[in-house]
Amino acid sequence: MTTLTHDPAHTAPAGRPQHAPGSRLAGPRLGGTAWLVWRQHRAAFWTLIALTLLCVAVMVLLRGQVVDHLDAHPQKSGGLPPDFEKYTVRLFSFGGYLGYVPLLTGVLLGAPLIAGDLESGTAKLVTSQSVSRLRWLTTKLALPAALITLSTAVLAAVFNWWWSPVKARSDTLEWTSGAFFDVTGVMPVAYALMTFAVGVAAGMLLRRTLVSMVVTLGIVVAIGVVWDRFRLDLGNLVSVSTDKGVGPGAARPKLPAGAVQQGEGTYFLTSSGARLDWTTCLDKIDNDRAHTACLEAKHVIGWSIDYLPISQMHTMQWLGAGIMLAVAAAIVTFIIVWGRKRLL
Amino acid sequence: MDHPGTHRGNGAGFAPPVGASAIEAHGLGKQYRRGWALRDVSFRLPAGRVCGLVGPNGAGKSTLMGLATNMIRPTTGSLRVFGAAAGSTESVLRTAFLTQEKPLFGRFTVAETLRLGRELNPRWDQEVAEGIVHAGRVPLKARIGTLSGGQRTRVAFALAFGKRPDLLILDEPMSDLDPLVRRELMATLTAEAAEHGTTVLVSSHMLAELEHICDYLLVVADGGLRLAGEVNELRAAHALLDIPGGGSLPAVAPHTVIEPHHDEGRPGVLVRLGAPITSGGPVTPPTLEELLLAYLRAPDAPSLIAPSARVGDIHDIIARDRQKAVTV
Repeated sequence: MTTLTHDPAHTAPAGRPQHAPGSRLAGPRLGGTAWLVWRQHRAAFWTLIALTLLCVAVMVLLRGQVVDHLDAHPQKSGGLPPDFEKYTVRLFSFGGYLGYVPLLTGVLLGAPLIAGDLESGTAKLVTSQSVSRLRWLTTKLALPAALITLSTAVLAAVFNWWWSPVKARSDTLEWTSGAFFDVTGVMPVAYALMTFAVGVAAGMLLRRTLVSMVVTLGIVVAIGVVWDRFRLDLGNLVSVSTDKGVGPGAARPKLPAGAVQQGEGTYFLTSSGARLDWTTCLDKIDNDRAHTACLEAKHVIGWSIDYLPISQMHTMQWLGAGIMLAVAAAIVTFIIVWGRKRLL
Repeated sequence: MDHPGTHRGNGAGFAPPVGASAIEAHGLGKQYRRGWALRDVSFRLPAGRVCGLVGPNGAGKSTLMGLATNMIRPTTGSLRVFGAAAGSTESVLRTAFLTQEKPLFGRFTVAETLRLGRELNPRWDQEVAEGIVHAGRVPLKARIGTLSGGQRTRVAFALAFGKRPDLLILDEPMSDLDPLVRRELMATLTAEAAEHGTTVLVSSHMLAELEHICDYLLVVADGGLRLAGEVNELRAAHALLDIPGGGSLPAVAPHTVIEPHHDEGRPGVLVRLGAPITSGGPVTPPTLEELLLAYLRAPDAPSLIAPSARVGDIHDIIARDRQKAVTV
C-alpha cells in the first residue's frame, strides 16, 4: 500500500525540527495524506483499536473459564459436562454481539468518512492542496479499511479460539448460526469492509453525516436480513439415510459431530430413493398398525436427514466473503470514479 | 498516482516571465441544470497582477474561480493556468485557492493545520506560513475551533501562502470580518503578494477596498465578462461628464453612456469615451468604485476588454516571438 509508506518529498525542508504535533498520542508516524487521514479520524481509529483490545481481553478471560471448567469436569463421551450451559450461552451471545461489528463500521466509520468533509467544506480545503483527489480518496479508504481488516481479523481469530474447545461437542451451538458463521474466519473482515464501503458511498452521495448514517443503518440492516436468509444456500446439503425400516426399534440416521440438520425435519426414504416429508401418514399416527401399513404402502424403507457438515464451513465462508468483497470492490470503484469527477 | 514531489526542484524559481498569462480562458462556459452560470468567457490575466473580480451575486464569480482551480469542470472552452491545463499537476502546484467559507479542520490546532499544508504541498514554505500566523499573534497550539473569525482567516491565509502559489485565488476573503481585521489582512495580502510576485485573483463586494489592493479588474454579470483590464486603463477609458442626465446632449455624442450618474456625491453621466474630450466642460475620470457601480447597475452596457486582457493579443505574440528568438 503505497499511501502508507513515507514519501520523502513530503517531509519538511531539512534542518527544521520534526516535532509532529499530531503524534502526541504516540500515533504511527505517517506522512502526506496518511497523516491527514489519521489525524482527522484518530478518535474513531483509537476507539476502534481500544474496543478491539477490550473484546480480545474479555474473550481471553471467558475462554480461560471455559477451559478451566472443561478440565475440572472431564467427560468420557466427548460431550460437554452438565451445567455447562452458562458458558455456551456466553459464547453464543458474544458471537451475536460481534455480529454488530459490520453495522458499526458502516454507520460510524464509513458514513461520516467523506460526508463529514463534504458537509464542513474541508473536502475543498484538502483538494485545493497539491495532492490529487485520487490520492486523497485512496488513502481515505485504505487507512480505515486496513484498520477494519486488522481489527475484525483479530476478533475473528480470538473468537474462533474461544469457540474451538466446544466446537464439535455441543449440540446447541450450531455453526450455521450467524453468531458463529459471520464472526469467524474471513467472514467478518469481508462483511465489515462491505458495510464500510456502503457507508462511504452513502455519505458521498448524500453529503450529510447524520442522514448518511441513518441511510447506511437501513441498508446494512437490509443486507443483514437478506444475508440471514441466503447464507446457508452457499453450502451443499449432504444426506444421511437408513434402510432398516422406520419401526420403533429402527435406528435413526446419525449425524456426524458438528453437523447441523437442515430441511424439514426427518424424511421418509422410499425404496425408489424418493423422499417423503415427515407429515406422511401423520393422520394414522394414533394407530400403529394402520401407520405401518400406510408407510409400507408407500414403500418406505428408512429415514433420511439433510445436513451441512462442519467441514463445509470454511468453503462457505470463503464463498460468502468472496461475494461480499466483490460487492465492496464494486462500490469502491464507484466511489473512486464518482469522487474524482463529481466530488465537491 | 502523480508525484508532486518530483517538481520540488523547481521550488520558488517559478517566477513568471514578464508578459506571461497567469490565467487564460478561451470560450469558457459552464452550464448547470438551471442554466448557464458562465457563457463564452475569454480573457487573460497577466502574471504578477492583483486582480479584482467583481459582479453581483450569482453572476458567475464563484464558477469562474471554481473553473480556475479545477473544482468545477467547464462545459465548453478551456482555461489554462500559466499555460498548463486547469487540474494538471503543474497548475495545481502553482495555484492556491481560498473559498468563501475558508473551511479548516475545527479540531486541528494551528500547528497541525500548518502541518497539513506541509504534508500535502511539496513547495511548502513553513517560514512564510508561520510568519503570517505569528504576525496576528495567533497561538500555534490553539484549536481552530476556538479562534475568532479574523484569526481563522489569517490561518487560512497562512495555509494559502505557505503553498508558495504563483496564482492565489480568494473568494470573498474578507466578507465576515470587522473593518480593522479586514484592513490588517488586506495589508498582509498585498505585502505577501508583492514580496513573492504572486498573481492574485480576489473576488469581493467591498468595492472601496478593492481600489486599494487591485491593479487589474474583471467584472462579470449575467454569466458574461463586462469589463477586463488594468484599473488605470479602464478608468481612463471612462469619464464622468458633469452634465444633467439625459444623454441626448451633443457633448455625449461620440461617447457611450454607461449610466446616468445620480450618486450622492457627484452628479453627472458616466460615459465610455469614444473620442478625445473636446468640450470645455469639467471632466474627471471616475473612481474605481464609481466605475464598478455604474457597470453593475447597467448590465446591458457593452463589454470592454482592454488589449492586455484579450486572449491571443499582440502582447502574447510578441512574448512568444521573443522567446523563440532566444531559443533559436
